[in-house]
Amino acid sequence: MIRSTFISFGLHSFLLTLAYYGLPAMKTKEPIELPIDIVEETPITSKTSLKLGETDKRKIKKINKKIVKQEKIKKNPPPPPIPSKKVIEKKNLALKKEKEIREIASLIKKKPKIETKKKNKSKPPKIIKKPEKLKNKQKESFARGILKTLTKPEAIKENIKKNKKSSNKDVLKKIKTLVGNSRRQVQQTEIKLSQTDINRIQMHVTKYFNLSYAATEVKIIIPLKISANTDGTIKSARILDKYSYEKDKFYRAAADAARRAVLDSSPLPLPKGKEKKFQNFIFDFNTSFINNY
Amino acid sequence: MYKSFKLIVCQTVILLISLFFSKAFSEDLRIKINSGQVEPLPIAIANFTGEEGRSSKIGMQISTVVSNNLVGSGQFKAIESAAFIAPPTSPSVRPNFTDWSPLGIKALITGSVKKINDKQIEVEFRLWDVIAETDLIGLRLSVNSKAWRRVAHIISDEIFERLSGDSGYFDTRIVYVAESGPQNKRIKRLAIMDQDGENHQFLTDGSFLVLTPRFSPTSQEITYLAYFKNEPRVYIFNLETGQQELLGSFPGMTFAPRFSPAGDKIIMSLAEKGVTDIYTMDLNNQVVDRLTNSPSIDTSPSFSPDGKKIIFNSDRGGTQQLYIMDSDGRNVKRISFGKGRYATPVWAPKGELIAFTKMLKNTFYIGVMSPDGSGERLLAQGYLVEGPTWAPNGRVLMYFKQKAPIDDGKSTNVNLFKIDITGFRETRIVTPSDGSDPAWSPLLPN
Repeated sequence: MIRSTFISFGLHSFLLTLAYYGLPAMKTKEPIELPIDIVEETPITSKTSLKLGETDKRKIKKINKKIVKQEKIKKNPPPPPIPSKKVIEKKNLALKKEKEIREIASLIKKKPKIETKKKNKSKPPKIIKKPEKLKNKQKESFARGILKTLTKPEAIKENIKKNKKSSNKDVLKKIKTLVGNSRRQVQQTEIKLSQTDINRIQMHVTKYFNLSYAATEVKIIIPLKISANTDGTIKSARILDKYSYEKDKFYRAAADAARRAVLDSSPLPLPKGKEKKFQNFIFDFNTSFINNY
Repeated sequence: MYKSFKLIVCQTVILLISLFFSKAFSEDLRIKINSGQVEPLPIAIANFTGEEGRSSKIGMQISTVVSNNLVGSGQFKAIESAAFIAPPTSPSVRPNFTDWSPLGIKALITGSVKKINDKQIEVEFRLWDVIAETDLIGLRLSVNSKAWRRVAHIISDEIFERLSGDSGYFDTRIVYVAESGPQNKRIKRLAIMDQDGENHQFLTDGSFLVLTPRFSPTSQEITYLAYFKNEPRVYIFNLETGQQELLGSFPGMTFAPRFSPAGDKIIMSLAEKGVTDIYTMDLNNQVVDRLTNSPSIDTSPSFSPDGKKIIFNSDRGGTQQLYIMDSDGRNVKRISFGKGRYATPVWAPKGELIAFTKMLKNTFYIGVMSPDGSGERLLAQGYLVEGPTWAPNGRVLMYFKQKAPIDDGKSTNVNLFKIDITGFRETRIVTPSDGSDPAWSPLLPN
């Protein structure tokens, strides 16, 4: 008993590992779908007109202080022509602070909860004005740089393709999230007939269903398979119960009357937009009404 | 292990198949048509063509008889031949249906008559569904040229059966009492004719009074009551041989002898010592059995189609009403409870209805009801309407109707009428003289 359990356990684990490594679908994880949130890109300047929220008060205060300092720096007259090391350091610090401010401002602008991915847009290559006097080495290095960057457009293309694919996928996903499942969508578009639609057809066919009264009480259901065109004309009317048609003479007469009724009532008043529903359907003719005569 | 696996596989396959079929059949939209029309079907009966496709006299006569039969049934409406767009065609030629459908015709009958020799003719017909553009039935008959009328009746029966689903009644005969002479010296003779009043013949010479003739359900025989030297006698008349057989002479009064469904018994009522009861007589050994024994008047007995029940009328409840009992006379049960008096009940050939005569406030009625007494419907009325008899398919009733005396009460005006069980179409049967007490024959043997 124990032995067989172990064997079973071993075989199962073997199969599972084999499946895990063998089947690619099991190993690869499906990419996590992230909803797309389109964020407008606004130019960032050193000055910001954003109204700051209350949540990051500390940061904001610091930033305000830095901005004030920066303004003060700007307001002050330029330093003497030969600046000292301290001044240079101050300048560097100011530049760093500016960078920090930009970063913080950008952070404030972006929604904190949503992680945005910057799209690698294929920007046109920037035209850099070449200095007239360049040394050969510099030229070579620049050429190398160009050569290095020559590989980049392919990458950009790939990126574009990827981005396109990903964007298409994202769009599809977004449509799916908005509309719902594709199957559900098909179900929603399924043609549904109202009772009025059916009543209209019933009333129409009833006018043509002329039955001979019977001496005995009869209650027969005669199913007829109908095939109709979209304009309501009858393509075919087929009596389904061939056995009763051959054996029972009243059934045969009533079935013929029913078929005449269907063919005579052509075209049927099909409801607009629901014609496809009547490509193939069944009429059940009930003969019991003649017992009232 | 293998067996269980096999079982599981089988079950799965069955489940899948059933699922497939259930889905396949459940997908179709189904619309119920629970009502319709019960109106005469518009038909066209083209003149039967003769030699080389030309119209012939006999062909025209056959088509006229067929048309009269079908229209007379109340089930069909014949379109006037003057309205036809296309000329009559041979039954072997497929008609151009577009020539007929604009006239509202649903069924078309084409036929032909060919002369085989001086005595024999070949009649062929075909019934076409104009809407479905198919042929429904066809038949070819070789008969004596003198029997063309019967051929027309047979064709009518075939068409009736194919279009209505019920057997026809056109190839049948009516036996009745032909009356002539003044009221106080009335001559009553036994006569026979086709159901449409043609081929009329007298069976008796009028030397003795005849009453209540009834057809045998199994053979071409008639039972009737005759007063020979003021003595009531029950006779059986064989139509094929023309011979009569005396069943018996019964003292007192005898009424309404009628055959049992098997044709082996006669049921009738006999009056003895002021009491009238119901008796049966075995035709093989002529043994008489008494079925009722009451101090009242029990009369007009009629067997149910299966022979297990008997309907009769009796005044045992104070007024003349309808009663049902077993064929041995037990379990007597009253079924009519309406106002007035009920008489002459006759069970329908299919057993679902009972026809009767009703008398209420000086008016006579012919009506029908179910064997349990429900669903009473009155179909015809008059000064005197009496003696209903069923067509073999149970769709039509025949009876006689007498008008009120005009002047001195001497003249009578008694005629035969037929009506379909819907009561919509009442037709008079034209007879050479007055007629009463009709009895409808079963379908004639081919």
